[in-house]
Amino acid sequence: MICGVIVSNRACLKEAGGLTIIGQGIEYSRMIAFEDHFQMSDTKRRKVLEQALSRGGDFAEIYAEYRVYSFINMEEDIIKETAESISLGLGVRVISGEKTGYGYTNDLSFDSISKAALTAASIADSEKTASLPVFQRALPSEDRYPLKRPAHQASLQDKIELVRRAYLSCQKSDPKIKKVKALFQDHVQYVSVVNSEGWAAEDARPQVKLVCTAVAEKNKRKEFGFSGGGGRVGLEYFGQVLSPERIGREAAEEALLLLEAVEAPAGEMPVVLAPGHAGVLVHEAVGHLLEADFNRKKTSIFWDKLGKRVGSPLLTIYDDPTRPSFRGSYNIDDEGTPPSKTLLIDRGVVHSFLQDRLSARLMGRPLTGHARRQDYTCIPIPRMSNTYVDRGQEDPEDILRSVAKGIYAEKFEGGQVEDSGKFTFSISSGYLIEEGRLTAPIKQATLIGTNIDILQKIERVGADLSFGLQTGTCGKEGQEVPVTDGCPTIKISRMTVGGQS
Amino acid sequence: MTETPRADSLLGLAERIVSFGKGCGADEVEATVSDGREFSVDVRQGQIENLVEAGSRYLSFRVIKDMKTAHATSSDLQEETVRRLIRNAVSRAALGSRDECAGLPPLSPEKVDIPSLRLFDPEVPKLEAAKKIHLALETERIALEDKRITNSHGASFITNEVTTVLAGSNGFLGSYNQTFCSLSVGLQAGETDDKVEDYWVSVDRFFKNLESPETVAKKAVERTVRQLQPRKIRTQTVPVIFEPGMTDWLVGFLFACVSAVAVYQKTTFLAGRLGERIGNENITVIDDGLMPGRLGSRPFDSEGVPCRKTSVFEQGVLSRFLCNTYAGRKLKLPTTGNSDGTGVGPNNFYLLPGTVSPQEIIASTERGLVLTRTIGHGLNPVTGDISRGAFGLWVEGGEIAFPVSEVTIAGNLEQILSQVELVGNDLDFRAPVCGPTIRIGALTVAGE
Repeated sequence: MICGVIVSNRACLKEAGGLTIIGQGIEYSRMIAFEDHFQMSDTKRRKVLEQALSRGGDFAEIYAEYRVYSFINMEEDIIKETAESISLGLGVRVISGEKTGYGYTNDLSFDSISKAALTAASIADSEKTASLPVFQRALPSEDRYPLKRPAHQASLQDKIELVRRAYLSCQKSDPKIKKVKALFQDHVQYVSVVNSEGWAAEDARPQVKLVCTAVAEKNKRKEFGFSGGGGRVGLEYFGQVLSPERIGREAAEEALLLLEAVEAPAGEMPVVLAPGHAGVLVHEAVGHLLEADFNRKKTSIFWDKLGKRVGSPLLTIYDDPTRPSFRGSYNIDDEGTPPSKTLLIDRGVVHSFLQDRLSARLMGRPLTGHARRQDYTCIPIPRMSNTYVDRGQEDPEDILRSVAKGIYAEKFEGGQVEDSGKFTFSISSGYLIEEGRLTAPIKQATLIGTNIDILQKIERVGADLSFGLQTGTCGKEGQEVPVTDGCPTIKISRMTVGGQS
Repeated sequence: MTETPRADSLLGLAERIVSFGKGCGADEVEATVSDGREFSVDVRQGQIENLVEAGSRYLSFRVIKDMKTAHATSSDLQEETVRRLIRNAVSRAALGSRDECAGLPPLSPEKVDIPSLRLFDPEVPKLEAAKKIHLALETERIALEDKRITNSHGASFITNEVTTVLAGSNGFLGSYNQTFCSLSVGLQAGETDDKVEDYWVSVDRFFKNLESPETVAKKAVERTVRQLQPRKIRTQTVPVIFEPGMTDWLVGFLFACVSAVAVYQKTTFLAGRLGERIGNENITVIDDGLMPGRLGSRPFDSEGVPCRKTSVFEQGVLSRFLCNTYAGRKLKLPTTGNSDGTGVGPNNFYLLPGTVSPQEIIASTERGLVLTRTIGHGLNPVTGDISRGAFGLWVEGGEIAFPVSEVTIAGNLEQILSQVELVGNDLDFRAPVCGPTIRIGALTVAGE
């Protein structure tokens, strides 16, 4: 039943081509997500929006979501557990000036939905009355999930087979691998948004993730390795792009490498970021602080720096929710806005912020399609999607050769930032650089810096852009959303490395 | 304990899941249903920013057939959906593998007296929205009166009321009600390019025990402005004093390392080390689910096992791993009432306080760093390694000399536990996983 929805939805999106608006009554039979899961007619939705605006709010919106997950866990050589989860619910939001009222429910009786609408309505207090326009559909220009074998349609046996292959490949890599765990998760999320400006939009977003962890042991020393992949892809991904065997092998390799690792050095030194995973640095150092809410409230150090130089002219950064199949991509954002590739930093100069409706209106800026929410219980806020540093000119080998003594940051556990611009990111594995060459592998270490300082210390940018693992999740104000990060080889002239030696 | 009609209808649903699951051929079934009410208001610069109010219900269950387990959760509680999920789970279980340790715990004859745990404050559901909004507004207003504060992340007041019911095919049937409320404010001081920030939050189950807007505001202001004009320091190895909020994450990391799930999976450096001395005599760590009114208290865990008090470290010796039924069977240890859904979770998990005051700890430190905040991840339970971004206050001659920013601390949990020189008397259970001020003999602080 569910698969049918995706296929027809995708077909419909493809027919449309370009940002298309289809008038009320023409395409409503296609609004399958709403009809199937939310059983709300057009009339009912109008009624709810009218209730939401009954206290004089400026804007009202219904966000409905239906998500079906599956999960498989293999450890100790057995398929230990499987799970199926359903998340169904709806939220009503009302904006009045700068204020937001929100009510949500997972009981989809009309009474409960009305109650949520009236709760949200109470944020406003004016005499204003609204008349709702005719609903129109906003459609994205293209489908960002070009998949062949949707995971939610595949049999559980097929998914178990993927898990088993990753597990065995990891286990067989080396006798020092003592413990392996492989996890598979997929979900499909149907989203439907309709607002008091008359816009309606839907999305059906697939998401797949296969990860493997390994513990290697030698002379009582134990180390941990991780790898994984996925995205908004079908199961064909594991045949064409990244095999389960490779995921298993890479997890084992990281754990084995760390068995030989030395303590990371402590103090300030040159840092070379490996292409791909190191994009987490710009996610933390730049991305979060360019989210519009922090700038509208002037808590971000970037709020007064639009059009100003903050970093090296070698540095250009984009956030792009439109990259096909990427974990952080979407056809519409969680306010129904078709997203666009957004230039954040243009050769060192702040070019734009990541916007949601509220901030864009209050700041007088155009929408970028970056409003996201964890689920229907949450208010949408500006978020990143797929964030990356654009490729530069240099040969990565030359970059490495320019470092006499420093570290090469290869794999990352994650990072964190605060509005003042102080940020960290933690490497899970890397190497010492000595006389322009990679020498000993190093253990985990946290690096810390202040963003504008570090952005100015970006000395060289390679021509080898790539993206990190398709397994990342970003948390902000308690809301988690899937993201990816990418970058080419980058040299930072000096940064504080938190090792022990 | 079925004190409200709400609990009654939830119990009915949980029991129906169990009986329908058995009817579909499951050997064992366990179902949890929860009903939550949430209110939250964020205010900023004297205005309401967000107001959220909602009620929602969730269910989760597991079925075991032929020693094979399948789980499901749903926020869609319609009978038809629930039945479909149960049928799917029973047929999915057949595709899993036989696992000798799978299954529900035996029904315990012990019962915890729920009212004596004081988990529910009848005043919380009765609080008027206007009063809650006023408390948040007051907190921010008082904080902004301090001219050193240059911007606000806003203040929030949040309440939650949760009813949890659990039914199992082993005959268990139980429910309890809880309340939580919190008042917080986040602040910035300094100019755009020299900002510092921090926050303070008061959380309690009982409204009357919450700190006043004055106290929350004052603490947030104090924590923020003390960081103004920080310096960077040289890379060095020095004594480090952890404030209680910092000991909290260290104790949280320790919890991850004594979880029996991590132990049988060999993802903790403490695997296989029961009975060994890990820390010095200052390390006594307890998990206790039965402390009246505390945030981590509950009458039974998510498998219906009565909660209890467990010594995890006794004067430095690792005495117990915290278990759910499954991990306990794996390790041939009894469950400790720490089941948390599909894994192991803490109840009130804390480092036993000592007798010195935090002021005395600082005064007795010749040179060192008071750790006030950390950012980033950098905790590895497999090795015990720690590496985090840090902020703090430099101590010189027993006195706070200046704030320190943009450094990292690095060390290993096992080494840290053997070097806890002083333990403060200031444990206040502000969080379910917590500890008092402590001083570590030496940690690497990386700076310039």
